[in-house]
Amino acid sequence: MNRIKLIFNQTLMISTAILFGLGIQACAAAVLYGDKQIVWDWYTPFTIIFTGFLCSIPSVIFLEEGETEKSHFFVKVVLHFFAILGVVSLCGKLFGWYSSLRDYLWILLMYVVIYFFVWGATYWLIKKDENKINKALEEFRDEE
Amino acid sequence: MKVVLEKVTKPEDEGAHIRAVKLTEEVRNAVDLLENNCRSIPVTPVQDGRSSGESYMLGTNLIYYTESIDKRTYVYTKEACYETRYRLYELEDILGVNFLRVSKSLVVNIRKVKSVKSELNGRMNAELLNGEKIVISRSYVKDLKRKLGV
Repeated sequence: MNRIKLIFNQTLMISTAILFGLGIQACAAAVLYGDKQIVWDWYTPFTIIFTGFLCSIPSVIFLEEGETEKSHFFVKVVLHFFAILGVVSLCGKLFGWYSSLRDYLWILLMYVVIYFFVWGATYWLIKKDENKINKALEEFRDEE
Repeated sequence: MKVVLEKVTKPEDEGAHIRAVKLTEEVRNAVDLLENNCRSIPVTPVQDGRSSGESYMLGTNLIYYTESIDKRTYVYTKEACYETRYRLYELEDILGVNFLRVSKSLVVNIRKVKSVKSELNGRMNAELLNGEKIVISRSYVKDLKRKLGV
């Protein structure tokens, strides 16, 4: 059940992140090249969700609960990064999200920014939790 | 068992009178709770990795954490280690509201947790009041937050 929930949440988050990235790309194209319109094929929205789903699978494989040492965790994150990059690159090629090296580099840049943004946000959230827990413990713990 | 609760005005008038046919474990626990404001569990001191055989009752308020290793359950206080016949899941029920399971093999007294530190993988490292460090697994962090009302 936890795996299904993780896949569902990750699919939603990654699909939203892809849409955000495409939005940024469209804005940049409008500002830099004067492209005021974006044209999508009929299947594009589904490909975004499908890609989100495929990208969620490396998270289940590499980042699931387990007693992992710090060094192993770092290796898992690196593998996770490249596995998702592989999925995005493959889906991008299959669904025609990029046709030139310039487009691919855009996607690569977006991916890197989003990936590190998500980790940054995760770090901020867990630090926030840490502070809340430590504050609650102050009132709870015994005096020794 | 029939329980009669009578309200009194002075603290010195407070008291409990238990009438029981047999001194069961439940009755003993109730007596412990009333006399010592905590429950007690039977434990055997562990020295040099071996149980000494001599058994006595340990107040749960002294326990820092309990851990299951190779199907044996160990109880840790500030400076000592004991073995108990209870399994970890049984202790979860016996030890009461201050105790929380924080990993598959460990139940901690949250009143003895000095602070926690998060790791990026979602786990937390907790430092206890005696300086010992334990790991809180990612899947149990939610339970800790719920327990502390965070």
